[in-house]
Amino acid sequence: MELTSPDSSRNPLHRQVDAGSRRVDWTDAVFALLLIAGAAFAFMKAGSIMNYYDKAILVGAVVVLSWLGWLWRPLRNLMVAVALSGGLAVMLYQGDLARAEQAFFLKYLLSSQSAILWMCTLFVLATACYWIGLVGRSATGAWLGTALCWGAVFAGLTGLLVRWHESYLLSPDIGHIPVSNLYEVFVVFSLITALFYLYYEQKYETRALGGFVLLVITSAVAFLLWYTFDRGAQEIQPLVPALQSWWMKLHVPANFIGYGTFSLAAMVAFAYLVKAHGQTSSWVKLMPLFILGILLGLEPMVFRQSGMPAYWMAYSGVAALIVGGILLGRRRIAERLPSMEVLDDIMYKSIAIGFAFFTVATVLGALWAADAWGAYWQWDPKETWALIVWLNYAAWLHMRLIKGMRGNMAAYWALIGLLVTGFAFLGVNMFLSGLHSYGEL
Amino acid sequence: MNASNPAIRPAAARRHWGDFVELIGSMRFAVSLLSFICVASVVGTVLVQNQPSNNYVNQFGPFWYQFFDTFSLYHVYNAWWFLLIMGFLVVSTSLCLVRNAPKMVKDMRSFREHMRESSFKSFHHKGQFASDADATTAVEATTRLLKKRGYKIRLRQDGDATLIAAKTGSGNRMGYIFTHAAIVIICIGGLLDSEMPVRLQVWLGDKKPLHENMAIADVPATGRLSLNNPSFRANVLIPEGGQSRNAIVLVGDGAMVQPLPFTIELKKFIVEYYSTGMPRLFASEVEVTDPDTGKSFPAKIEVNEPLRYKGVTVYQSSFDDGGSTLNLTGYALRGTQAYTFPVDGKVGGTTSLIPAESQAGGADNQTLKDLTVEFSGFRAINVENFAAQVGATAPMAFREHVASVSGSAARVGHDKDFRNVGPSVQYKLRDASGQAFEFNNYMLPVVVEGTAVFLTGMRANPEDEFRYLRIPADGESSLKEFMALRAALQDPTARAEAARRFAEGNRPATGAARSAASDELLAQLDASAQRALDTFASGGLQAIAKFLETNVAPGEQQRAADVVVKLLGGAMAELRNVARERAGMAAIPKSGPDAEAAAGWMQLSVAALSDMFLYPAPVMLSLSNFKHVQASVFQVSRTPGKNAVYIGCLLLISGIFSMFYIRERRVWLWVKPKTDGTTGSETLMAMTSQRRTLDFNREFEGLRADLAGLLQAPKGGI
Repeated sequence: MELTSPDSSRNPLHRQVDAGSRRVDWTDAVFALLLIAGAAFAFMKAGSIMNYYDKAILVGAVVVLSWLGWLWRPLRNLMVAVALSGGLAVMLYQGDLARAEQAFFLKYLLSSQSAILWMCTLFVLATACYWIGLVGRSATGAWLGTALCWGAVFAGLTGLLVRWHESYLLSPDIGHIPVSNLYEVFVVFSLITALFYLYYEQKYETRALGGFVLLVITSAVAFLLWYTFDRGAQEIQPLVPALQSWWMKLHVPANFIGYGTFSLAAMVAFAYLVKAHGQTSSWVKLMPLFILGILLGLEPMVFRQSGMPAYWMAYSGVAALIVGGILLGRRRIAERLPSMEVLDDIMYKSIAIGFAFFTVATVLGALWAADAWGAYWQWDPKETWALIVWLNYAAWLHMRLIKGMRGNMAAYWALIGLLVTGFAFLGVNMFLSGLHSYGEL
Repeated sequence: MNASNPAIRPAAARRHWGDFVELIGSMRFAVSLLSFICVASVVGTVLVQNQPSNNYVNQFGPFWYQFFDTFSLYHVYNAWWFLLIMGFLVVSTSLCLVRNAPKMVKDMRSFREHMRESSFKSFHHKGQFASDADATTAVEATTRLLKKRGYKIRLRQDGDATLIAAKTGSGNRMGYIFTHAAIVIICIGGLLDSEMPVRLQVWLGDKKPLHENMAIADVPATGRLSLNNPSFRANVLIPEGGQSRNAIVLVGDGAMVQPLPFTIELKKFIVEYYSTGMPRLFASEVEVTDPDTGKSFPAKIEVNEPLRYKGVTVYQSSFDDGGSTLNLTGYALRGTQAYTFPVDGKVGGTTSLIPAESQAGGADNQTLKDLTVEFSGFRAINVENFAAQVGATAPMAFREHVASVSGSAARVGHDKDFRNVGPSVQYKLRDASGQAFEFNNYMLPVVVEGTAVFLTGMRANPEDEFRYLRIPADGESSLKEFMALRAALQDPTARAEAARRFAEGNRPATGAARSAASDELLAQLDASAQRALDTFASGGLQAIAKFLETNVAPGEQQRAADVVVKLLGGAMAELRNVARERAGMAAIPKSGPDAEAAAGWMQLSVAALSDMFLYPAPVMLSLSNFKHVQASVFQVSRTPGKNAVYIGCLLLISGIFSMFYIRERRVWLWVKPKTDGTTGSETLMAMTSQRRTLDFNREFEGLRADLAGLLQAPKGGI
């Protein structure tokens, strides 16, 4: 009776993987109640130092987190686990920072720096496992990748929460949400990218993309480690007056949803191009992809202040080897990657989410700038580059939605988009002076 | 085209106009404009904007400076061509909107219920069901199902068949209209708030920016903007206790006065610091007076918390010195007298070093008289990190390194020892020829490596870092004793006395050794000490090194240097006592803890005296008292386009979310009785969407399966 192509019904993607999670059930209610209890606790403990807007944001957070928990159930487990570990850390601290050196759990697991170092380690291990899973065709390897990735997200979120607490222990007037400098936002970036990836991994039931997406997270980890060991950037810094605003709680996370999903899209685009070139034997056709990969690997070289630090030279070398290795093994990798249709769909969806949130973030930034700097837009380099990134993805979406752009063109563009985004995120802070100078290295 | 056929011309013109409009409204055109804006923006971020023109001349040389200036590359975002492109973008987007919006609204409202049975074949997403239920029942059941899924429905009877046209997610199209309208609104609002309105008044009106300094009262009417100026962004500096009703608008290289509808009086500027010396709070306590009503009210303006009054917003922009009064002591650094004199000044002011009528200071007075001092800065507090250099620590083992970055992220007292070292003053000394050096002197002694020293910094160029000279503080925490020692060093009689005492002090104590030979030795010692002091007094340790180089064999130099340094140290200690006696102070004992402290003090003094020869001024000014007056810099602006921009932003966000997350779908069902005459019905299905994503495929299959389940259920199951 049915006239459409018969293969679609057998495609696992057409199963309603999230059909069950669309209905509100009693667990959602329990979770929402837990969130409300948590918010009430926060009100009791810290209500006196919150202003009207902070309170509104807290209420808003309860609504948004309940909704997110309903949208994607595993988030609820994560949130509960992180709340428990964060709460345990707060209890162990007993209001004294020195306890970080004395209490065993704080010293090795739960203090913010230990947790963040765990996050770094687990992300690197997860990347390795995903690749073993993909190239070695080992389901266990890939499963381990997922498990480690979740572990890293748990550790990183715990680290950020505890860091928030530590900043208040340091001094009540220094305390602030940990999204205020380059170090903190790099952790946020890794977490958001990983969470979006894990969402798509579950939704599309494929672990083949993990290795690709976690490459960009591993790069962020490489940066974090260098930033910590070489520059001592992990220390909590007080806020300059312009940053002391509740706007920060909205502007920065929204921005990093944008950066995270753009990066995710670029890595999926990379996978797409590897898949598209799976049967190619001509290196000439692979060259653009190889060069793009090298360029992305070279982008951190902008961190140099003088000469070429060995660390970043080694980083770029390893990045080039990885890109070369992926291209060499393209046939084997391509076989395991999901269909181009799926890759294209993930790419589109993450760019769409990223674009929407990047817009929100830029608008919030403009509103904040109007209060802090006296003008909602004044062509500050960061603002200008945000506009360039925005226009870039606006053009991408236009071409796709109106002109029906698909295939290699869209993928190459998404990959180049990461170069542009990377420059807006880092290059502006390195090269161009401006009002966003607290993101400086 | 020729003149004999006039009918063609208007038609052709209309066609050309049509083509032109077509081009302007096309997406290709808009994308080219956007690319151009991107490139221009990149240039604007790479090339630092709105710098003084000589910065650019230095950077690029005169030729390229001119060349870049032709294209206004130093003010990209206010350049005529940039604004022109923005204008085109607005026109292009508006045209696109005007041409497409009505079509879209129409399409949005339409159910497209004029489908024919034959059209179903051409759809990619389609289905076909046979049911035992009759047509009416099938129509009712499917309508119910679609309604439950959120579809809006329209039915059309076509002979014995029924067409069910259903649609949902029409808001998607509104997203398109919203986003494009938003871009137009934001651009127009932004233009209203840009420099454009003021520039237009200069171009078209009789306003003229001023290029020279003058008092606000002297500014002619052409240099004053209207009180009712709808759009401006201006700055105003108000010292504590002062008030202002005028702000300054910068237009290109010039400035104009913008009167404000109220008076701002700065009561107090508050700046608070964290323990690291980083500012924690900038706030201004002001009194705002409305001249229309004469009423006034107090207000507090903070970063992130501007004051909004009478359509004008006042922001805390920065702060400055409001003309603090300074009392300083000048110490002469040349001549044989430890001569001091008072200097009074104001930050931002200039004064001659010594009043012309003063005759004090002897011959050296002349060099001082030619100097003028410009007080360029004053800081009431200076927080410095006294911890050992972070990079200088020994390399750590990996394990230690990891341990040092784990734990809490708040390591107090780690590589950190922040201390407030008190006020400092910055001034420039300019000689008769216009040459100037800049100095930065701390008011109080700072403990560096265990000893209290006065720090005096100097530099030749504003771009350079200050290089600091350390002068040891005396028992009274002052510069007096060091300055007395300096004067004594320049005095030949004092040097001779010190050399004599030094030789005397080294005479063997026991009587047996007091022979004629030892007298000779004594005379030699005296002469050596005298020479060491003279050489040191003529050019510091440099001069001694030079002397050794020319007079001692290369192999002997190191040993000779040790001897001379010892000699000099001893002789200088005696010189210090000579200087102390002259000032009426007791001599320093030869042994005991005081002597040890004196040795340390002397070591630093010798180094400082030696460095004095490189000090580029004959005088050093030390801060003795001050009255700190701060000034607050406010930005005041009137932004008529702000609300438009905010509404535009709201439209933009809602538009983007509806474009991405409202999925537009249409379903048609063609239900007709079975053609073979048996009871039951046949149904054709077609589905479409603007965006054929995987989600759409999935939804289509879900819907088709549900319809199949519904229609093909056993008879009576509906």
